[in-house]
Amino acid sequence: MTEILRVEGLQKRFGGIVVSDNIHLTIGAGEILGLIGPNGAGKTSLFNLISGVLRPDAGSIFLNGQKIDGAPLYKRARMGIARTWQNMLLFRTMTVLDNMLVGPRDYAGESVTRLAFGRAGVRAAEAAMRARAMGILGRMGLESTASSMVVDLPFGQQKLIGLARTLMNDGPLLLLDEPMAGVEGAAYETMQRVVRQEAASGRAVCVVEHNVSFIRDLCSRAVFMANGKILQDGTVEDLIASATLTELYFGV
Amino acid sequence: MDYLITLAILIAIYVILGASYNLVIGYGGLSTVAHPIFFAIGAYTTGLLSVNVPELPAVVNVLLGMVTAVVASVLLAGSALRVSGDYLLIASLGFQLGLLQLIKNLDFTGGPGGLSAIPSTILGAARGPAFLAITGAAAVACVFIIRAIVNGPYGRAISAMRDEELAFTALGRNAMSMKIAIFAIGCGMAGGAGGIYAYYFQYISPDQFEVLASATILTMVVLGGMGTPFGPVVGAILLLAIPQAITFLQLPPAIMAPTQGIIFTVLVLVFLYLRPAGILGNKARAI
Ligand SMILES: Nc1ncnc2c1ncn2[C@@H]1O[C@H](COP(=O)(O)OP(=O)(O)OP(=O)(O)O)[C@@H](O)[C@H]1O
Ligand SMILES: [Mg+2]
Repeated sequence: MTEILRVEGLQKRFGGIVVSDNIHLTIGAGEILGLIGPNGAGKTSLFNLISGVLRPDAGSIFLNGQKIDGAPLYKRARMGIARTWQNMLLFRTMTVLDNMLVGPRDYAGESVTRLAFGRAGVRAAEAAMRARAMGILGRMGLESTASSMVVDLPFGQQKLIGLARTLMNDGPLLLLDEPMAGVEGAAYETMQRVVRQEAASGRAVCVVEHNVSFIRDLCSRAVFMANGKILQDGTVEDLIASATLTELYFGV
Repeated sequence: MDYLITLAILIAIYVILGASYNLVIGYGGLSTVAHPIFFAIGAYTTGLLSVNVPELPAVVNVLLGMVTAVVASVLLAGSALRVSGDYLLIASLGFQLGLLQLIKNLDFTGGPGGLSAIPSTILGAARGPAFLAITGAAAVACVFIIRAIVNGPYGRAISAMRDEELAFTALGRNAMSMKIAIFAIGCGMAGGAGGIYAYYFQYISPDQFEVLASATILTMVVLGGMGTPFGPVVGAILLLAIPQAITFLQLPPAIMAPTQGIIFTVLVLVFLYLRPAGILGNKARAI
């Protein structure tokens, strides 16, 4: 399996709280890695470190073998790290389609010089991006929401749109932060199907999720985190079977 | 007639100031009170060049005024935004007050007495109408350039940035350079307005560029409709024309001044009460 992401000795603390304590992790192309652990374990912080929202105190991150430690958040997105957010962070004053159109990694339309000198090129790029956005919305059964304001939609659909917008970034790494929280019914099925399809297309996917059955259905491998440490890295079955982890996480 | 032309030119200048301030604060969400000083940078650069380097054509002087404003704005926003968005407000206040103080205290700018004897450039009876045409065209160009910026893909990116800067950045967009670009475009337009202003009035002084002028410009923007392309146009016309219209009532001066103030304040309050998002603003969104 081709390695997409490698994290080496990642260290991060906020005052007295250690959110990443010597984290080592790899994710391969086509793999769906589950990341579970109690509240405050440092899961979101790890995503923040990988995507560039946070700077680590020590350690390195490699994407496709290339060290990306120095790259800021927006450059890592362009390199192909796509992520969702636990609280979605949708663009609230904009329609679903407009939310999607801010998603592509590099989009020539958004430049002042292009605006002045390349109107025709901008129109062509715009049409292509619209088609791609509608394609992704279509895959999730969301075409009909394209011109709705995101805030007018039910929560489950907003979650899906958060993922759809992220999928406009077609890079090799996909980080999903609690995609299933508050999602049920049809949206649940859709979420599962889409995540599978993305991995099948060769992307490396990492899912943070408290819903263990979602992880069990989707992942062959999972990592358990607590207090900023990775306590176990193995098959989902082993993880669930582990007495210590069960105690820590499921609070038995 | 001359008087009306001067009023119309002043309105066009304030349309540029209002529209560009609207781009920066209304669309870009960047808080600044330094707009008058960028207006001044354009006016003084153009004025000083016209006085000291008479061989340079007026167009070049105005353009150099714009360029100077753009460079200054990039330096200001580039350093302040690195700290934080709120810091820009404080830094812009410092820049506004500090630079104006400097202008007041330097000899070559004319000090507090101002810079006079700026050449007329256009002579004869056609001077007024010609300046009106130039200023009007510049104002129309600014309003439509801003409309093109905020309506296309670039505008979509601007509003995404305003909504959720973190998500915007994590989608591969450089919010910092976008903010600096918006700030520079807005301030450059203010600088250009300053250049035209200097040439038309042939006299500029520091008190025309005090920090309070940003309150006047802001009132125009808010009254017309912040975050709408044509709001500042309506705002500038109303704010400048209404006091003048009241003059036509030919009241005795003792009554005139307070009446003007009262009628004006009442009108602004009535408008803001009826249309809290501005006259052209979206009524529903404001509440
Ligand atoms: N920017 C920050 N500054 C200070 N403390 C932070 C910051 N971000 C996270 N923390 C703290 O770090 C710890 C780990 O937070 P994190 O969000 O990574 O946990 P999590 O595993 O995602 O939890 P949850 O399951 O609740 O989402 C928490 O105690 C949190 O309060
Ligand atoms: Mg979290």
